[in-house]
Amino acid sequence: MRLTQHPILEFDRGREIEFEFDGRKLLGFEGESIAAALHANGIRVFRESIKRKRPRGFFCAIGRCSSCLMTVDGIPNIMTCVTPLKEDMKVETQRGKGAILLTESFSPGSRPTEARRGAKDVATVSLAIVGAGPAGLSAAAYAGRMGVETIVIDENDVPGGQLIKQTHMFFGSREHYAQIRGIDIGDELIANLSGLPVKLMLGTTVLGLYPDRTLSLLANRRHIELRADAVILATGASENMLAFENCDLPGVYGAGAVQTLMNVHGVVPGKRVLMVGAGNIGLIVAYQLLQAGVDVAAVIDAAPEVGGYHVHAAKIRRAGVPILTSHTVQRVTGPDRVESAEICRVDDHWQPVPGSERTLSVDTVCLAVGLTPNCELAFQMGCRETYVAELGGPVAAHDPDLETSISGVFIAGDASGIEEASTAMIEGRLAGLAAAELLCREVDREELKRLRSEATSSLKTLRAGPFGATAREGKRKMFKVGS
Amino acid sequence: MRTNADCVIIGGGIIGAAVAYYLAKGGMTNCVLLESEYLSSGATGRCGGGIRQQWSTEPNAQLAMDSVRIFKTIEEELDADIEFLQGGYLVLAYTDEDVEQFHKNFELQRRLGLDVEILQPEEIASRVVKQVNTDGVRMATYCPTDASANPFLATKAYAQAAVRLGVEIELFTPVTRILREGNRIVGVETERGIINTPRVVNAAGSHSVPLARTVDVEIPITPYRREILVTEPLERFFDPMIISFSFGIYFRQVKHGSVIGGFAYADEAPGFNEESSIDFLTMMSRKLSFLMPALKHVKVVRQWAGLYDVTPDAQPIIGETDGVDGFFQANGFSGHGFMIAPKVSSLLSQLILGQKPDLDIDRLNARRFSEGDVDLDHSVV
Repeated sequence: MRLTQHPILEFDRGREIEFEFDGRKLLGFEGESIAAALHANGIRVFRESIKRKRPRGFFCAIGRCSSCLMTVDGIPNIMTCVTPLKEDMKVETQRGKGAILLTESFSPGSRPTEARRGAKDVATVSLAIVGAGPAGLSAAAYAGRMGVETIVIDENDVPGGQLIKQTHMFFGSREHYAQIRGIDIGDELIANLSGLPVKLMLGTTVLGLYPDRTLSLLANRRHIELRADAVILATGASENMLAFENCDLPGVYGAGAVQTLMNVHGVVPGKRVLMVGAGNIGLIVAYQLLQAGVDVAAVIDAAPEVGGYHVHAAKIRRAGVPILTSHTVQRVTGPDRVESAEICRVDDHWQPVPGSERTLSVDTVCLAVGLTPNCELAFQMGCRETYVAELGGPVAAHDPDLETSISGVFIAGDASGIEEASTAMIEGRLAGLAAAELLCREVDREELKRLRSEATSSLKTLRAGPFGATAREGKRKMFKVGS
Repeated sequence: MRTNADCVIIGGGIIGAAVAYYLAKGGMTNCVLLESEYLSSGATGRCGGGIRQQWSTEPNAQLAMDSVRIFKTIEEELDADIEFLQGGYLVLAYTDEDVEQFHKNFELQRRLGLDVEILQPEEIASRVVKQVNTDGVRMATYCPTDASANPFLATKAYAQAAVRLGVEIELFTPVTRILREGNRIVGVETERGIINTPRVVNAAGSHSVPLARTVDVEIPITPYRREILVTEPLERFFDPMIISFSFGIYFRQVKHGSVIGGFAYADEAPGFNEESSIDFLTMMSRKLSFLMPALKHVKVVRQWAGLYDVTPDAQPIIGETDGVDGFFQANGFSGHGFMIAPKVSSLLSQLILGQKPDLDIDRLNARRFSEGDVDLDHSVV
């Protein structure tokens, strides 16, 4: 179902167009994701799993998890959650692994037989930043400010990363964009880049990062090689899955996915939702669901206490939504989509308490059970990997300047350890400044020093207090290990 | 870890695992296989898994044909699935030299009883595989009994069967040096202690060279990086391995549905470099989408590199080392170790057990290099 009224958002939808789904004509809006268009038409099942033929829908909605693969215009394994809808597109439920069209004509031209390496066009840049979210854009602003020629690459057509779906206001001081909604912060970060030697390359996927800091890029089905003197990885994070019976059933969605669907595309995920996770994301998304007119049956969390800010929890409770701590979801049921969820209490050892089971009638289960840093590019390049549970698991080892074990390769934001957008912006700043120091011979050292100490103390302020304890501990462990 | 063994095998690739199995099967069960990382972590696990019988010299063709014979029943013998499939090999000729050589190969292979045939370009689509672009193809040879298998599963199958017979396998146990007294082997020193043994099989691929040096033996092997990539899985649409020596490519669709393949750069520098390169990714993608245009929308999901342990004649070094009793070499496979592993390993185990090998492998002893008696095979990718 599409949202027509929203207290905060206005949806600037594209042209209404016709497309085909399994032979049926449907209507959607040009440029919205295929997944959103299907969902708006009440379609939740996108594919069949390969081995057990189970129905699958989307899960992450940001091109990370490959749950939403479908055959589009004859090409299998298309991530429909990030592929824009076009007029007359032919979208098909994918069964099995997908078959390729065997009608492709033979390309004319000579055989590519070059037997030697190198000798081809490679674009170059001083600094390449992967990810145009809060960390990447802040890094670009500060590196650019120091005079570094910078390219920011992002696979999405719109910059801002996950900020583009954050309708809530940030906390803290003005410096940390408090009292501003996430959706507006992105615009401000872009505005900060004007007049600087910074270029944005949107709609461009980084396929790989090679040992000589060469990036393999895919833009509009064209391959580009870009060699950079330094690289900042601001690649964000992926939503965690939770294992329970039928957890792959369409209707079990990541919290980020629900936000994308609802706040970017203006499509509600369902009529009645169970939110799993009472951290800030769970609480905020539960509230956003209420704002969009969706019923929230409950917010549950296995921990004995609410993890998020109490002000967020209070808003939910005032709206009459119960927050059940020491509770978990045991299973969901439904033929090809969620129809109900069974929850139960857990004891001090996180074990289900027999007899405490309850069944909730819901059509959507939203998982807000943490994130995992996206460090694949760093690991592919050979950056040292380390495991810090407080930072979200496996992360690229880095020093306080955000430099990894490979000189000139930095990592910032959620990719360097799960925190919040506000800390991501400061980490981006620090990484941008560190890259500038590395790359610029004639840099204003005094100014650099001042900006760095400003950012460092800012980061300290943000991580102060009980809510910053996990990140503090995680970073302490990280810096003790060293990059 | 055992401290005394009748034989220590160094290297947990297909060769080490198969030698361990055949030794145990022949009665020598007190063997230890040492692997510095995990099974198939070296060249075996990085290879394309092709099993080709179409070779240009008689001994190689014979070895390969005998290996296929073993592969055909190995799943039953080892009680394991190794994804063995006789999908055939289609070998494409583009040049005059190719055509001339292919005719010679064909004569030789037919004489040995191989079911190889010559195909004209226009026959390829109807006889073998529809989607090959035959532009520029002069002719092809096709052998339907050529095969492929999963190198990880094959190695694991041999290793587990060896263990069932009493062999001990120690993973993550790097060998620091081999121990020699006078002209004989007396043991192996590892990071976890010493194993006394009168016999050592050096099956460590390119790393066999530094290992042999610890007992002052030089083996003429040069490591070269070879790169390979794999695509997302697709429903099965072709069976054979498709290769060309002059165009420089090999690729097949594995059981899981992914297409796996690679080629070699002519100017690859020797060394232990195992990094992946963007050059390979782009060139291999171009080659694949030229030769099989249907693949051009298919996504590459991974690329990696491994080492060819290349000898001067691109033939393996098999047999006991002159002057060092008990020091057996099983290395230098030059990129085709997997496909001949069953036969070669079986022959080497016969040699170690003091039996007469049922096929002459003396020609593969390292001493051939000092005698200057080398016969180059033209069918190396």
